[in-house]
Amino acid sequence: MIRAELMKMRTVGSTWVALAVALGGLLITQILLVTVLPAIAAGSILANEPAARAELGPVDTSSTGFQYGALDVLGASGSSGSIGIATIAVLALGLIVGTTDFRHGGILGAALARPARTVILGGKVAATAIVAAVLGVALAAVSLAVLLSLVAFSPAELALQPAEIASSLGRGVIAVVLLALLGLAVGVLLRGQIAASIVVAVVLVGEPILQGFVQLVTGSLPVWAQILPLSLARAGMAAPGDAALEPLLALAALTAIVGIVTAAAAVALRRRDL
Amino acid sequence: MNTHDTPAIAVHGLHKAYGRTVAVDEVSFTVARGRVLGLLGPNGAGKTTSMRMLLGLASIDRGQASIHGRPYAQLADPVGTVGAVLDAGGLHPGRTARQHLRIAAAMAGVDAARVDPLLDDAGLGQSADRAIRTYSLGMRQRVALATALVGDPSVLVLDEPANGLDPAGTRWLRTMLRGFAAGGGAVLLSSHILAEVAQVADEVVVVARGRVVGSGRVDDLTAHHGGDLEAFYLDLTAENAEVR
Repeated sequence: MIRAELMKMRTVGSTWVALAVALGGLLITQILLVTVLPAIAAGSILANEPAARAELGPVDTSSTGFQYGALDVLGASGSSGSIGIATIAVLALGLIVGTTDFRHGGILGAALARPARTVILGGKVAATAIVAAVLGVALAAVSLAVLLSLVAFSPAELALQPAEIASSLGRGVIAVVLLALLGLAVGVLLRGQIAASIVVAVVLVGEPILQGFVQLVTGSLPVWAQILPLSLARAGMAAPGDAALEPLLALAALTAIVGIVTAAAAVALRRRDL
Repeated sequence: MNTHDTPAIAVHGLHKAYGRTVAVDEVSFTVARGRVLGLLGPNGAGKTTSMRMLLGLASIDRGQASIHGRPYAQLADPVGTVGAVLDAGGLHPGRTARQHLRIAAAMAGVDAARVDPLLDDAGLGQSADRAIRTYSLGMRQRVALATALVGDPSVLVLDEPANGLDPAGTRWLRTMLRGFAAGGGAVLLSSHILAEVAQVADEVVVVARGRVVGSGRVDDLTAHHGGDLEAFYLDLTAENAEVR
């Protein structure tokens, strides 16, 4: 079943589009991060816009914080609450796997071949995890190349130890896999490509809005408001101590959310008529 | 359970309702090995729902449906036992016929080497690497039928398989189904093309508004209609017009 699901992914154009957008989006985002932001801060560009410089504040490319940002495999480190292009593409990848069979009737062939529907979902989960892991490694390679280029072509020195880099990138790969599986579970749960896309869009846009609103009302960001998928993915990739939740705890919480949504999708798939 | 006395397909007292709408009401029939049974009825009569319940795709409110004595979900080798065509085969328009069949073979655990002969038999050898979006309806039906045969099954369940087929395709389907039955296979076939059913089916079951309103051997049923299945069908469904 896993081999069949991998073949399905490989033979659908939208899978390749999602992969290309994730890689291209991350490359553009991270290059802008390490080139444009320091240039604005230094006044090399937008020299006549002091307000922009003031809002941006000092940018230290040698700081561990900045270099962790360059290593962010989802390209979402530009500012708190930002949504990276790669994040959208990774969620879309899972969503495509979860909904394509329902859209074109392939789920009937799968159910005829494997009447135990949890086996069908298991095949999709495994295939999505494999492809997302490969994508995550490619994204990590892009991020690492951007960081090393920053060090090679600017006065900045490498502030991170190899173990810190490996840990950050490894956690990034896990976050990519979890977000793809979240997209898959939402897709299988809702079946319709448009409905699932709307829900994912609401999560992408709604999470930062909710956090901003909570922060505005309470003056701080309570822990519960950080136990949301995108925040957990970001915290999972952040430097230890930078986020309210420690990275491994954040990834564990994200795993639990993915597990709950996947379990709901499994129940729905078993109970529904096809 | 899988003895020679057990019908290849057995449906008994099937009942299915969606809310207050009864889709299938006490439908019963059997298909023996080596026989072709035509399931006839107007649109919305419950033919497709009955087939989906037989194949475990829709839940059964009441009654039983089995293949070689077992519910579909309990078959040890589902694709090696039953080949099915539903909804024009669930074809992704961006895939080629060859990719589609290879995926079906992988899902069934069948050797991919079986794909090329099936494509050739279905007359798709020359166009197997074109995207399905460029296919005519008849070509899509041929892909769906080839997919149904991937597991070399002994039972076929086909919902409107002749839709869109040109005369050559229709003849190919007829020859294939008769050959399949002659080899001991059992076929359950729903169709609106009554002339085609008359040529290929040994028996028919006519359903209207979810209920069986007539069944038997084609020759017996049409004896009072000059052997014309269409005349028999139209008379029978006109009698049941109130329930349509």
